[in-house]
Amino acid sequence: MAPQDRLTLDRVEAPGQASAGALLRVEGLSVSYGDHQVVSDVGFALRRGESLALIGESGSGKSTIARALLRLLPQGIGRASGSVEFDGHDVLSLPERRFRPLRGKRIGFVPQDPGTSLNPVRTVGSQAREAAALLGGPGGHEELVLDTFAQVGLDNPRRVYDSYPHQLSGGMLQRVLIGLTVLPRPALIVADEPTSALDVTIQKRILDLLSDLRRDLDISLLLITHDLAVAAERADSLVVLKDGVVREAGRTAAVFSAPSSDYTRRLHADVPALNPDRYRHLRDREPAGGPPKIEVTGVTKSFTVDGRRLTAVDDVSFSVPTGTTHALVGESGSGKTTTIRLLLGLEEPDRGAISVAGEEVAGRSHASLRSIRRHLQLVYQNPFTSLDPLWTVERLVGESLDRFRVGTRRERADRVREALHSVGLGEDLLSRKPSALSGGQRQRVALARALVLRPDVIVLDEPTSALDVSVQAGIVEVLLSLQAELGLTYVFVSHDLALVRQLAHTVSVMHRGRIVESGEVGAIFDHPRESCTRALVDSIPVGAGAVAEGVS
Amino acid sequence: MNRDYAKYALRRVLQAIVVVLLAYVFTFVVISVLPGDPVTNTLRNPQNGFTEEEITRIVSYYGLDRPVHEQLWDSLSRLVVGDLGVSLRSGLPVTRLIGEVVGSTLVLALSALAVALVLAFAIGFGTRYLPKRGGQGLLRAFPALFLSVPNFVVGLVLISVFAFQLGLFRVIDSEGGAATSFAAIALGIPVSAQVAEVLIANLDHEAGQEYAAVARSRGLGRTRLFLRHLLKPSSLPVVTVIALTVGELLGGAVITEQIFGRTGVGSLVERSVTTQDLPVLQAVVTLAAVTFVVVNLVADLLYPLLDPRVRLAGGRSRGKAEVAAP
Amino acid sequence: MTVAAVPSALPAVRRGQAAKVPPTVAVSFAVLAVVLSWSVVPGLFTAQDPVNGVPADKFLRPSTAHLFGTDHLGRDLFTRVVHGTASSVTSALIAVGIGVVVGGLIGLVAGFAGGWVDSVLARLVDVLLAIPSFLLAVVVVSSLGFQTVNAAIATGVSAVGVFARVMRSEVLKTRQAVFVEASYLQGGSRWHILVRHVLPNASRSVLMLAVLQFGLSILVIAGLAFLGYGDPPPASDWGLLIATGKDYPLAAWLVYAPAFVTIATVLSVNRISRWLRKTD
Repeated sequence: MAPQDRLTLDRVEAPGQASAGALLRVEGLSVSYGDHQVVSDVGFALRRGESLALIGESGSGKSTIARALLRLLPQGIGRASGSVEFDGHDVLSLPERRFRPLRGKRIGFVPQDPGTSLNPVRTVGSQAREAAALLGGPGGHEELVLDTFAQVGLDNPRRVYDSYPHQLSGGMLQRVLIGLTVLPRPALIVADEPTSALDVTIQKRILDLLSDLRRDLDISLLLITHDLAVAAERADSLVVLKDGVVREAGRTAAVFSAPSSDYTRRLHADVPALNPDRYRHLRDREPAGGPPKIEVTGVTKSFTVDGRRLTAVDDVSFSVPTGTTHALVGESGSGKTTTIRLLLGLEEPDRGAISVAGEEVAGRSHASLRSIRRHLQLVYQNPFTSLDPLWTVERLVGESLDRFRVGTRRERADRVREALHSVGLGEDLLSRKPSALSGGQRQRVALARALVLRPDVIVLDEPTSALDVSVQAGIVEVLLSLQAELGLTYVFVSHDLALVRQLAHTVSVMHRGRIVESGEVGAIFDHPRESCTRALVDSIPVGAGAVAEGVS
Repeated sequence: MNRDYAKYALRRVLQAIVVVLLAYVFTFVVISVLPGDPVTNTLRNPQNGFTEEEITRIVSYYGLDRPVHEQLWDSLSRLVVGDLGVSLRSGLPVTRLIGEVVGSTLVLALSALAVALVLAFAIGFGTRYLPKRGGQGLLRAFPALFLSVPNFVVGLVLISVFAFQLGLFRVIDSEGGAATSFAAIALGIPVSAQVAEVLIANLDHEAGQEYAAVARSRGLGRTRLFLRHLLKPSSLPVVTVIALTVGELLGGAVITEQIFGRTGVGSLVERSVTTQDLPVLQAVVTLAAVTFVVVNLVADLLYPLLDPRVRLAGGRSRGKAEVAAP
Repeated sequence: MTVAAVPSALPAVRRGQAAKVPPTVAVSFAVLAVVLSWSVVPGLFTAQDPVNGVPADKFLRPSTAHLFGTDHLGRDLFTRVVHGTASSVTSALIAVGIGVVVGGLIGLVAGFAGGWVDSVLARLVDVLLAIPSFLLAVVVVSSLGFQTVNAAIATGVSAVGVFARVMRSEVLKTRQAVFVEASYLQGGSRWHILVRHVLPNASRSVLMLAVLQFGLSILVIAGLAFLGYGDPPPASDWGLLIATGKDYPLAAWLVYAPAFVTIATVLSVNRISRWLRKTD
């Protein structure tokens, strides 16, 4: 790696040198909301035709930087200082009137959530035509828009043109937005987590589209992402941010092969896709043997939606040996969630049998389900909604003990503390309410709540998908240690195959309500038989491997 | 969509009819079941000078000597054929009494609504266009202020300033254009506050939406952003709010008409209360409920046609699933 | 899976600001404190007689001796306003109490029971909402008799619909919350969930509405008093004072002083309610 490839925080370039090739230069950028500084003294440069990724977890200020570059900070609240030079213009000091011709035409923006990024009460076409009209030029905007829609891979441009945003899927909307962004042939695209609101298999296709367009149209890309693996795969250079400060910067291969900061190293270690065997020592133990803890046989469930019958779960069977983790994977709408709701007795199956620890779940009354629930617990996906905001941690964790009248008051209090300890939380949190906890702490509280009754089986419904990778790593570690210690059986629902590969023993792949493939995790991942399994496996970013090979 | 809409419309219409009938029953119950017997009290009041015979005649005409449920049944059967009863005071049919004054109240209420809308939209737009430090804060405080002022105070101030001091209108000529305008202002100001509050909240909400930032990122200017993007989604919910203010306009008319010396439904109510003329009171309340229900029914039926986001028949449509994934 | 990215720095900043009480809110609390003390211990603020005046001193302009001037019978208006506070404010509290208890109960039962109970109660609430609230109050008070207490009850009845609607929608919202299902999985019974989870969470909005409705009730009761449907003179409810004052156009303070007190009180209540909503 050549030294000049390294963009470090404190490097001062001689004027006129090296910056010649830079399309975008950011120096000493600080942004504050009110009195609160969220970005401090950030600097980087992006060369013409290249791509650069800003990587960081939530609160790192990466999206704020994107907005500052486009001067889209909330009016009256956000303030940016420092220097942002784009193509010879000083972006921050230009008057709005002179900056507006740059915005859109020379710098394009791809937002995070396509579902909220188009006006809901106007058709896609009218908004696209408006974007085209802003470029000036003679009429024929409609043709131009339809051509662009075709270019970004929308199968039926006419139909998309006439639709309202809510009538299209997230992937299609993101294609529309990318189309509108490349329409004026900008020199730079700022993409703010362009795929994080989309399904995994679609994420890859959208990123591929961005890469293709970039290459074909010679556009530079500033990619904002939380995903180190994605960044490694898509960007020429990386800037790692934490708490609004640059922790590391440089060419992708260099940062990857020899990260210089502890933070980057830790981040690297926490990304499941880059460390498939991280928890092998915890996962690979002698199986306990005996009969399976969970047996699901031929379960089917349909719902009636808008007068149509929809089979959410179709003849699903799987079994989970005691003390192991079984993963259910699939895209959204594949029937994962319905399956676990059936397992927990929250829904009644139309057909089939479900047994947990030898007891039949289906067809039971609420009262008799109660006894099963002592051994069967659930951790929800989003810890921001699964904890009553008015309750303290102590009450939240102790609720089931009180409900089942376990032991004396004193014993219950002790068990609450014990459960908190087992998930790595201190007693100082006992009197806090969820709003005073971080996302990771909340999910640990939810986990403690599931553990406090000492169940045999815990169902985990995407328990880390709302959390940052470093927080996720902590939770996964706790889960696996508890499993090793207590012999717990997990059913783990996820769309993140890299994570599944790290922690599960067996896996079932679901597609449109059916299990299309199941077996040992390693076998399924290394030799997927079905096309939808392959699509899921392919969606795991492999950037790490590719880059590492390129370096060596 | 069309079949869903027809079903929705039918259900809403049936609900509306039920609500109107129940409103009639409800007022009947309030009037006849609550402690105190206003009718006989009125009749027996020596000032009214009814003889014992007359009292007996009137009491038996209204069936006041019979059980309450029979009275209710009679009353409902009369309602169905459009007979709202006879005034206890004047002996005239209630429908005729109301017919004489309803025009004046209608003019007042509609002008007040116009005042309210102009004021509300002026305030709403102002908050978007005035600078944060210059006047915008003041403008934002207006709805709260309007909501805190009793409408009779607004009326009294208007009369004292514009009639007595400036002589812009005369209180005697209560139905004249100038007097009506000021009465409409007095009645419209509190109503404008409700509309303005919703409008401001919606404008703020929409301006903070991601699509607004994305539209700006494509180079859209502020004015076009406001007119083409923010205005429609912010104004649509206002339709519902306007419909809800009907109650405010009709209720407020009681006081406004009294202050400005107008004869209308409001002053009819006021007179009927003072003289305990219950048939009139009940008829006016029913009429007000009908107006409210009909206006809100129209608003509800209109809304799905105006806003493409609204899905009928509950539940999420599976429309997304039909479109092939990218 | 987007949730991780959402909690940005922005809400944190807002939370920080909310911890401080804005000056206008502080002033509002001060105004309410004064008004409440007027209603509890009026004698502390004025030594003059609210009922019997000094005929020689009639129609005096506001001065240091008579802060709000005097009326047609030579009574000190400030004293009358202070002594009228108790009935103006307490009756608004009674009204809100009726609205919260009756409306809240209807909404709670409707939202939690669902099914036909909900349908029946929903129609009842529709009826209460369909009758313009001021008209409803007028009808109820004319049926009960012209007294301030009855005006308060009438105002309360006319607010029942609003409270029931808000409570019902909050209960429905809370019932669908994930944490309610979580409690069910922890072995919680329906009753436990209703009392411990649904009611406390749903009550927040209802309490905020109660504050707003308190201000509104002061206005409605003042309106009823203005029309003469409350206690007759020499009672000195604010609305009644304004009504009497308007007969003397040359003594404008007779209208403006009680009107000012009414507006200041309601404005303060509204400001506090708005602040509560924001800090939520």
